[in-house]
Amino acid sequence: MFQDTAEGVIRVSVSNTMQALEAPTSETIVLKEFMSGASQGWGREQGRLVYNRLLTFVESRAGTLIFVISISGIDRMDISFASESVVEVARKFRGSKGFAVADVPDADMLENLEAAAARAHQPLMVNKEGRMIVIGLQPSQGSTEAFRFALTHPMVRAAQFAAAAQMPIANASMKFKQLWEQGFLLRRESVAESGGVEFVYFRIA
Amino acid sequence: MDCRITLPPCWVGANEFEDALRRSDTPPHDSRVFSVLIEFPTQCKVMVDAAIRLLSLANQLDQCTKRVRLSFEEGETGTMGYLNRMGFFDNLSRGVEVIPDWPSTSGKRRYGGRNVSLVEIERINRNHRDEMLPTRLTDSIMRSCGDRQDAPDLNGAAWTIFAELIDNVFSHSDTPLDGYAALQVYSGGGHVRVAVSDSGLGIMQTLRPALKSEFPKLAGLTDAELLVEIFRQGVSRHGSNRGCGLKGCAAKAIKFKADLDVRMPRNRVQLIPAHGTYQVNTAYCQNELPLLWGTHLCFKILLKA
Repeated sequence: MFQDTAEGVIRVSVSNTMQALEAPTSETIVLKEFMSGASQGWGREQGRLVYNRLLTFVESRAGTLIFVISISGIDRMDISFASESVVEVARKFRGSKGFAVADVPDADMLENLEAAAARAHQPLMVNKEGRMIVIGLQPSQGSTEAFRFALTHPMVRAAQFAAAAQMPIANASMKFKQLWEQGFLLRRESVAESGGVEFVYFRIA
Repeated sequence: MDCRITLPPCWVGANEFEDALRRSDTPPHDSRVFSVLIEFPTQCKVMVDAAIRLLSLANQLDQCTKRVRLSFEEGETGTMGYLNRMGFFDNLSRGVEVIPDWPSTSGKRRYGGRNVSLVEIERINRNHRDEMLPTRLTDSIMRSCGDRQDAPDLNGAAWTIFAELIDNVFSHSDTPLDGYAALQVYSGGGHVRVAVSDSGLGIMQTLRPALKSEFPKLAGLTDAELLVEIFRQGVSRHGSNRGCGLKGCAAKAIKFKADLDVRMPRNRVQLIPAHGTYQVNTAYCQNELPLLWGTHLCFKILLKA
């Protein structure tokens, strides 16, 4: 049960067994508030400064699994800044906490976020006009269907997808595990009906 | 020993500047040279990319305690007046001699921000990070061509290019000398020149030592090949997760079919986009050029008619 990982993960794991089937709630981070009010983000130096503030904040929210980073009020962001701040924090917590981006003002900034995420091999969920899209790392062809399935459910077990896609549970389980490891999904430990350990997977949205 | 660099009596871009530099008998940074004369004849019209390379060169030579003279045949009525309005003399080391004389007033202070067709040279100083610098430079482009159909795209692309290039100067230029950024819209030629110069070690000098450990496959590449990879796949001395800045910057410029000219201390590579990327087989490379410290980049962005 107690894993040698971040404190937040341990706590979450403990609480999971007690309240197994509850989708995680998300918390919104207004990025501008972490930028000393600046409306533009550029360069590695500023990015690292913002990353440190984000890190402190996220670590103080041990029970929160999903953070929605709102870009509201920020006019411009270059690739280096996006890489050092938003993408780096998502990469740092890959597998244990999820980060989605919202309120991206234009295609240009989206392109910059995408370039930064792709470089770090990090998937990043983006709320684009109410529709969730993934930028950066894309799911492999073999796990795209499983990912789509997970996106349409607040939480999902491998057995559910296996039944829907008519494939062996072990196969479905492997796909979800891969999606979790790569940062597309989050998961919690739960107790299966058989009494064994089972993972419940959550979308980052 | 004296070194004399004579610019041609025509438009002088980076190509003409390099030709003039090579024609000088002894390279200006040669340790035997103690005095350098740069001549601007009648009809010589210096373009923005050549202007900031000249500025960097003159400041570097002055820093090396050489005597540096800039001689303007037409005085302030010619290219000297233009350079003055763009702030060339505001950034020129005070030890440099100007013939016939230093301008009596700073044209940049007189016209600053009000002349839509002219863009000022902006100083890049790593110790005084100017938050609004990319925006000011981009606004300058938009003042000149904001009514174009592709203006919104150009606005975003130009901002990102400036932000990344300026940040790159902070990262790679370990020098007490300032870097410079400037741009100019050439309506007649239908293009914008976006130029950024620094007087640091040069992009290759900071990258090469890290290649063996970070990117062993790239260690055997020539400078031209490596430069193409910096802009095509992103290569950084800090490892494989980094290097996306210059790559993304090139991707934006390529949308506007931009040529990229990169001058490094001893060589120069010109990249021409083909099939949506920069390629080695369309790169022009000049080696063993006269020494010019730093990295000097210029994107020539084509504008739609």
